[in-house]
Amino acid sequence: MFGWKGKILRIDLTRGNCSVEDLPDDLMRNYIGGRGAGVKIFFGEVDPRIDPLSPENKIIFSTGPLTGTGVPSGGRFVAVSKSPLTGTIANPNCGGYFGANLKFAGYDFLIIEGKSPEPVYLSIHNNQVKIKPALHLWGKWTTETENAIRAEEGGAEDAWGKNILSVAVIGPAGENLVKFACVMSDGGRALGRSGLGAVMGSKNLKGIAVKGTGEVYIADVEGFKKAVIDFLNEARENRQLEQRSLWGTWSLIARAQATGTLSALNFQRGYLESFRGYENPATTREKILVRDEGCFGCFFRCSKRTRIPDPAYPGTTKGPEHETIALLGANCGISDLYDICKANYICNELGIDTITAGATISCAMELFEKGYLTEKEIGYNLNFGNIDATLGLLKATAFRQGFGELLADGGYAVAERCGHPELFMGVKKLGMPAWHPQGRFKGSGIIGLQYATSNVGACHTRSTLTFNPGTSDAEPLAKWVKHYQDLVAVVDAGILCWIIYHGPLWEEKPRLWLQLVTGIEYTQEELLSIGERTWNLERLFNIVAGLSAKDDSLPQRMLTEVPPEGNVVELVPMLDEYYRMRGWDENGIPKSEKLNQLGLSEWKVKVS
Amino acid sequence: MEGESVMKIKIDHNKCCGCKLCEVACSLKHTGSVNVQRSRIRVFVGEKFCLPVIAGPYTEAACNSKNIVMLEEEGISECIICRASCPAKSVFREPDVDIPLKCDFCGDPPDPQCVRWCAAEALILVEE
Repeated sequence: MFGWKGKILRIDLTRGNCSVEDLPDDLMRNYIGGRGAGVKIFFGEVDPRIDPLSPENKIIFSTGPLTGTGVPSGGRFVAVSKSPLTGTIANPNCGGYFGANLKFAGYDFLIIEGKSPEPVYLSIHNNQVKIKPALHLWGKWTTETENAIRAEEGGAEDAWGKNILSVAVIGPAGENLVKFACVMSDGGRALGRSGLGAVMGSKNLKGIAVKGTGEVYIADVEGFKKAVIDFLNEARENRQLEQRSLWGTWSLIARAQATGTLSALNFQRGYLESFRGYENPATTREKILVRDEGCFGCFFRCSKRTRIPDPAYPGTTKGPEHETIALLGANCGISDLYDICKANYICNELGIDTITAGATISCAMELFEKGYLTEKEIGYNLNFGNIDATLGLLKATAFRQGFGELLADGGYAVAERCGHPELFMGVKKLGMPAWHPQGRFKGSGIIGLQYATSNVGACHTRSTLTFNPGTSDAEPLAKWVKHYQDLVAVVDAGILCWIIYHGPLWEEKPRLWLQLVTGIEYTQEELLSIGERTWNLERLFNIVAGLSAKDDSLPQRMLTEVPPEGNVVELVPMLDEYYRMRGWDENGIPKSEKLNQLGLSEWKVKVS
Repeated sequence: MEGESVMKIKIDHNKCCGCKLCEVACSLKHTGSVNVQRSRIRVFVGEKFCLPVIAGPYTEAACNSKNIVMLEEEGISECIICRASCPAKSVFREPDVDIPLKCDFCGDPPDPQCVRWCAAEALILVEE
């Protein structure tokens, strides 16, 4: 078999069993892999109405046919589950080497189900799969956990053995079921959003180590080699990508400032004077960079390992990326780079998603400043910009201590408890990422439509962001969002990196790579319909889970109030257009004709 | 004069980002599939550096000179910079059958695929 390995590894933590199953042919053809196939398997096995932190929930680590093949920027993996934060489908993805290693070990998918009676970690060396005790790791922070597992699995004396395996772990936040806990992999990569760290914690699963020494076969080896070399040359000529290598995502802050799309002060602003310094990414690089890091097969190396000159923070870590600088920085009114690095470091080490953490704390800050929360309740004078309170609260959240007990349930829970859910800036209880939907360009509301319609809650990687749509008409904006949602679903099924492949530039590349690697000649229309199928299946999952059209919305003030540097979001006309284009009824439910057309007719029963 | 110049692969670890495309290129060339465990070049991913190491001659027994060498402020085992295929190391041996691997510059004339695939230009072919 080319591309795929054709195998699913299933682990039942309740019984302590492992089994290997064959991958159905139609799954590969109709969903490709990664996010699409992961969602298909997950929805087929899990009732969407379950409690996400119960043993009935599963977590599926998915690779795609392109994972581990050396397709440039094809090193990612996806994890599919039901989110404890949003109650929706969850499928964040992550870079590093874990996906490639899982593939080399011989599996396309790793399904984890049930709940272990005591803390364990999973050890996968090709067909040697073991569930090992992890009581001695419980309570440890992420880097320490990862190093301990590497020493146990790779041989303490064998430097190479420890180095070539991949590890994914949770920190104290995941153990304590913080609803936005993340999974950290290979030295600081994160399966960030949706709280899958808590799902692993609820299963008493502290980590996964995987090492593979097998092969992945390529259908057209000579064609593939030539295409990679051509791609390398093409990419070298691209100035924008050259900048991406040098600055990572740091260069995006200047764009956010220029377009009024910076998430600032719990989205009360779209620009901060105190962030002028970040507009030159060279300053950031000079201050904190240790080295540039590429994921498996990705020479763009946009990931940045960093360190700050502070003895209290001796280690290096990944980021902060643009999202973290915007959310834990600007959105919390914190401007000092080293302060943001400290918050980022704490989040990575405790296993907390930095985006959601920023969204949660900034929400509490606005509630405090408006008088809906008191210093007595919080334990801090939580004005915007208070870095000591932020660091203290991040730790309290991970251990669910004091006010952290409430914060650990996410920003929506905090705002609702205070009687002001409208002050939580998110969609479907997932805090908004860094791009403010009320920017000061024509058609800026397109970002709002993307957030409102995302199946996982407010997320910037579900379609393609644009800062120059050139129109504010609902029809072309809705068309753009739908088209790129479908395309990105294919990118995530491959799996390719969204950062490189999400835009119009390389829209046809996924087709080329899939053809060379798998030998299957998909047409572009067929691929887009695979993306659409995935999108609709996720939608159906959410509908059964209890979500409806009213959840496709934005915080009230974004629809009604004009911020100093932007526009209101004219959501309703865009949403109407969007539903129509999707073939959904006015309640946002896919019509029968659409489901039939996508080959999803069997799923109709589940909805009724 | 013929025979006096030697082709070498020059490694600049400061440019290596750890993408491991060199490992993919090597295994595609030598095995026709992607299997980095069968690659003659491996990248060690450190905290503060990445270091590509190219497989050299085979040694029958592990040595006992495991000194710590400093690279970019990181103390690393001498094992990591050593190019030998050695029984104590997890790399440079065929999986299952354990046959040692050694770089052959992808034939004659030398055309090392790892160099061709290294977009970061951490690997350069030089004539000395």
